[in-house]
Amino acid sequence: MTAGNAEAASAASATLTVNGLSHWFIDPQSGSTVHALDDINLAIQPGEFITVVGPSGCGKTTLLKILAGFLKPLAGEARVHGSLITKPGRDRGVVFQELAILPWRTVRRNIGHGLEIQKVPKDVRAKKVAELTDLVGLRGFEDHYPHQLSGGMKQRVAVARTWASDPEIILMDEPFAAVDAMTRQTLQEELIRLTVETKKTVFFITHSVEEAVFLGDRVIALAARPGRVKASVQVPVPREGRTWETMTHDPSMAACVEEVLGLVRGEHEATLASESHANADAEQAQET
Amino acid sequence: MTVTVSSSGSAAQSDIERQLVRDRGKEDRRGRIVGSLLAVAPFVMVVVIWWAIYTIFDPVPTKLVAPSKVVDAFFELIREGTLPAYITQSLGRLSIGVIIAIGVGVPLGWLLGLDKDVASSVEPMLRFFNAISGIAWLPLAIAWFGFTDRTITAVIIYTMIFPVIFNTMIGVRTVPTVLRDASRSLGSGWFRVIKDVYIPGSFPSVMTGLRLGIGFGWRALIAGEFIVGGGGLGFLIFNSRTAGLTERVMLGMIVLGAVWLLIDRLILRPIEEFTAARWGMVRL
Repeated sequence: MTAGNAEAASAASATLTVNGLSHWFIDPQSGSTVHALDDINLAIQPGEFITVVGPSGCGKTTLLKILAGFLKPLAGEARVHGSLITKPGRDRGVVFQELAILPWRTVRRNIGHGLEIQKVPKDVRAKKVAELTDLVGLRGFEDHYPHQLSGGMKQRVAVARTWASDPEIILMDEPFAAVDAMTRQTLQEELIRLTVETKKTVFFITHSVEEAVFLGDRVIALAARPGRVKASVQVPVPREGRTWETMTHDPSMAACVEEVLGLVRGEHEATLASESHANADAEQAQET
Repeated sequence: MTVTVSSSGSAAQSDIERQLVRDRGKEDRRGRIVGSLLAVAPFVMVVVIWWAIYTIFDPVPTKLVAPSKVVDAFFELIREGTLPAYITQSLGRLSIGVIIAIGVGVPLGWLLGLDKDVASSVEPMLRFFNAISGIAWLPLAIAWFGFTDRTITAVIIYTMIFPVIFNTMIGVRTVPTVLRDASRSLGSGWFRVIKDVYIPGSFPSVMTGLRLGIGFGWRALIAGEFIVGGGGLGFLIFNSRTAGLTERVMLGMIVLGAVWLLIDRLILRPIEEFTAARWGMVRL
């Protein structure tokens, strides 16, 4: 089955659907139009971990901003369980690349921020925050301010804060790009454990093919300028219990990384050769 | 990775972190004692130089007096009660200025910070008036309000308000939009975004504005008291000069600096230590 057909068939049961989504910007210097996204169609199933990979300028972040409700698309639509996304909502938690935790709140108060907004009673909140603090390995740092933490710890706070308000969907925008390689691997493994345990639907953006394959149930490869869905690749190994140690020795994972790398690398020539999704789908079908 | 591994890993991490925090605490205490000694030393130097110049040149009393004479004048004016009265008077005028400058300047700064259109239309005018010092308004202010406290207060408010407006505006503008977006995704409405993100986020800059504003206001106040009179430290300095009491002139000057240091150490710095410095947004 081609990726396109799979999307269409599963749209009805999907948590997140994107239909004919296009967006463009006017370059303030040249005055020319920059096509960020062009006719994006996606269906993300409940509990699915989707990773989106593509070169810079493929509109990954624009797509996430639209799903989050920070940006209104100029054409097409994005829906959660069939209802149109028009503004940010508690059902869609966002983890930002920029470690968007509040410097003036301690770890405890950052993690509990969403619960505070929902007016969850103090004792319930404290219990939930303690649980999450343990879950992300930050016990003992509850009263620290963000500037006293390392980059990896800050990102854990951001993840815990998003999980605390228990959103159904989690949107992550290159959340581990700013941390060192060792910490990144730990965070990735922890994220797998966390998402498997809590059965979240995740939309995860990255520019690293390895990260995309390691984390995802399915990898969406985007083509750049304008950003289009090039292919959707199913990752052959189930997410449960994936670790870097086992995955680097798994030939099927290596093959999957190669396949996605090929898609992302060949993206430039493909842009010239194929203007329609049919071509991309055919290419995808041949490769699989 | 399992839960156990990750939590024991972070336990080890937190031990190191705790040790670091403890060491930092020790350094802080030692640093504070050394720091205050280092801060006093230059003052001692200045007094020594003053005393040396006085001894070497032996000037007429209208030009310079010995440090000891100033100390005598200090106790004399305390006994008379004039010095406490003048200090209270000056600080009272400053306080009114501070309250009004905060009450008017902060909301205006907020408006300019949040609304780019209003800001771009009003900013040139604000910069224009900011360039005209409060003291330049004194002749007109005297014509309008006479030789009264109102003239002095008007000049202080005028002087203070611009740094407060500009810094509040900058503070609101520089709050990263990603923090706003993050809060909105957690379910915040606009009220909560303002309360949780914009107010604390702009606070360090508002404090900078206040610090600048109060400093400028303090100077403008003295100039106002020179001209308008009617008590206060500026009046003490100006009036003593006319009477040829150099020790009182110098005493008044020293009190100006000392009172400012007290305002800084007892009010401004503690507020900053409790907020921006604790949040890692400024280093003091």
